[in-house]
Amino acid sequence: MKKILELTKVFLKTSFSNMEAQTMGNNKSKLGMAFLYLFLIVYLGGIIGFLSYNVIDGLISIQQEAVFIGLILLMTIGFTLFQSIFSSINVLYFTKDSEYILPLPLKPSEIILARTNVIIIMEYIVELIISLVPLIIYGVMTGAGIIYYITMLIALILIPIFPVLLISTIVMFVMSFSKIVRNKNRFQLIATVIVLIFSIVLGMSFSTFDEEITQEQMIQLVMQANGLVDLIKGYFPTIDPLTTALTSTSWFEVLISILETIGISFITLIIYVFIAEKIYFKGLVGNLFSGSKKKGKVDLSKNNFRNSKLYKSYIGKEFKLLFRNPIFLMQCLVPAVLIPIIMIGIFALNFKDISQEELQEITSLIPTDTLVVVSVILGIIQFFFMFSYISITAISRDGNNAVFMKYAPVSLYKQYMYKIAPNYIINTIMIILTLVMLQYFLKMPLITLALIFVISMVMSALQSILMLIIDLKKPKLEWDSEYAVVKQNMNLMYPMILSLVNIGVIVLVTMFTGSMGIYVGSGVLLLLYGGLTYLVSNYLYKNQNKLAEKIM
Amino acid sequence: MIKISNVSKSYVKNKKSIDSLDLEVKNGEIFGFLGPNGAGKTTTIRMITGILNPDEGDILIDGNSIKTNPIEAKKAIGFVPDSPDMFLRLKGIEYLNFMADVYDVPVETRKQKIEELTKKFEIYDDLNSQIQSYSHGMRQKIVICGALLSEPKNWILDEPMTGLDPKSSYDLKEMMKAHAKSGKTVFFFFFVLEVAEKICDRVGIINKGKLVFVGTLEEMKEKFKENGSLEELFLEITEE
Repeated sequence: MKKILELTKVFLKTSFSNMEAQTMGNNKSKLGMAFLYLFLIVYLGGIIGFLSYNVIDGLISIQQEAVFIGLILLMTIGFTLFQSIFSSINVLYFTKDSEYILPLPLKPSEIILARTNVIIIMEYIVELIISLVPLIIYGVMTGAGIIYYITMLIALILIPIFPVLLISTIVMFVMSFSKIVRNKNRFQLIATVIVLIFSIVLGMSFSTFDEEITQEQMIQLVMQANGLVDLIKGYFPTIDPLTTALTSTSWFEVLISILETIGISFITLIIYVFIAEKIYFKGLVGNLFSGSKKKGKVDLSKNNFRNSKLYKSYIGKEFKLLFRNPIFLMQCLVPAVLIPIIMIGIFALNFKDISQEELQEITSLIPTDTLVVVSVILGIIQFFFMFSYISITAISRDGNNAVFMKYAPVSLYKQYMYKIAPNYIINTIMIILTLVMLQYFLKMPLITLALIFVISMVMSALQSILMLIIDLKKPKLEWDSEYAVVKQNMNLMYPMILSLVNIGVIVLVTMFTGSMGIYVGSGVLLLLYGGLTYLVSNYLYKNQNKLAEKIM
Repeated sequence: MIKISNVSKSYVKNKKSIDSLDLEVKNGEIFGFLGPNGAGKTTTIRMITGILNPDEGDILIDGNSIKTNPIEAKKAIGFVPDSPDMFLRLKGIEYLNFMADVYDVPVETRKQKIEELTKKFEIYDDLNSQIQSYSHGMRQKIVICGALLSEPKNWILDEPMTGLDPKSSYDLKEMMKAHAKSGKTVFFFFFVLEVAEKICDRVGIINKGKLVFVGTLEEMKEKFKENGSLEELFLEITEE
């Protein structure tokens, strides 16, 4: 037991030590970071709390508040499943320390349990963000007593165990029996595709769910939600006792339900360790000591020794490194493209039953040549920028290779520009996609479209440069798995903060210049963001060497 | 030619990691640089290659200051870092083409150099594979090929023999000798003392940030124990 705890501590430290290093600095910057985190927690908690309050309020009015617990548990398990697909693959198989851990005199079960602890602890962080506030609000609104809050804490500890064990077992099974895992890249790519399909299906199913909310009565919705919980219960045996524990008012029933959950989790754990001992190390060793070497003669006539302009070569390298790494592809590039598609797809699905004539009638009512329309669409594009993580990880993704920038005979400013190019290109694709899809419905005048496009491009430049500056100031260069760059990197909250600030600025400018017409308002936005972009790029140019001081 | 003039560097206040380092590596020589762990070798390499800026003094590469004219200075350097794990998801040929683009190597030269170097190091047939599938030694070889593609006048090699098989190690040593013979410079950082004996024209020993000895191996033997092994001499110098 002691060894498992020690090992868990070591694994956790290697996972999170870089996060600490990232946030270290003088007292002033520490205080600033603390405020920033506080703001984010309050902000996220506020949104989740507001939504929860409304749902619980609605459910209380029809005396069905217990359904909320089922839904929250379902949502938490859903997030845990989704998250643990990646975390278990990475923690179990793709962390660099496996090579050093294997020769140590440790029992297989100790390594397995320590690794699994790390995955479960990672899930607790997700849980804290999405489940704690709703459950507290539920307690307050239903006037729950101390038993509820104690049960809630125990429930939060127990919830992720079953889904994590389930996903980890599946991952281990795939890793040891499938031939594709002999190639780490291919396996990660396939996993990426599976997760992608999963997220699209999830997005689409939410869209139809949304539609029904507006069409059906509350009672029917509750029945649906109950039905959904019942359906899932069969697969996740801990939901039922946990729901009982959180909704029951009897001490005895709560105790029995908690014991039942602990019992189920414990039995699952024993089965898990039994299976893992048989299959985990087979897959791990296979993964550690196999390469994906493709032997083949280099065909000299096939343009292999081409000469490219430096910018093409450099940006090409950036894209190749981004595309060929499934984790970076999935976490940095795909959300930026996929989320707009899913959201606009949902928007389109909601219009699917409306005839072309009716659609024209509706859209003709929207004054497409006003500043409000420009601002709303700019706001939507800004919202999509939140998911653009290419620039904010441009330096960190290189890890120790980032030092190449400093000895390459190319000015650092030029290299910075090449590094933000993929972010800018992907943002441009996203802007065009959004505008094309919105234009299909709204039929905006060309001038409105052009204004939105130009302002968005300037905002995209600002976002790309600013995020790079942040990554330069606080790079995460020491990582043991690529996963750390995207999941244990506090910098990733900055695109969200910038987008929120920008949306606020757009709203303010619209409020103050709305009466002066579309051109004045757009002009102000363009001047403001053009000016800011000039200032930050000038700052980057003047401080190009100083900004690279952390890279060495 | 590499000229280091009165260079100092501190990471923390009042503690110099490098203290007034003066050194000149002349054209046509192989200069070996060694010292115990934490002596300041890595800091020195980082300053010569432009990764770190010296607090005081300057470094000239073929007359170009790494501080004031860094691009020209860096173009004259072929640098092999101690870790060969470079851009692992690029294919070997992509990495070499990228390096050739960064160092402005014309298409004809690059074709000939890539063939020559990769065949010499026996990785030509692996150029179509991603570097991450290479063994440590192969990675070392591809990084060496990338650094030498542009035919730089000054080679800066940080423990380049690590992971190389005996044949490749021998080939690299021969290449270093030939490079120096053609009037160019090899600045070579290493741990294995025997290598110094075989190929270095001069050696520099750094300890606690200070250069404690510069000269030929014979001079070293004369100055310290006459009949001591290289290892004993090294220990005597660095334990002073």
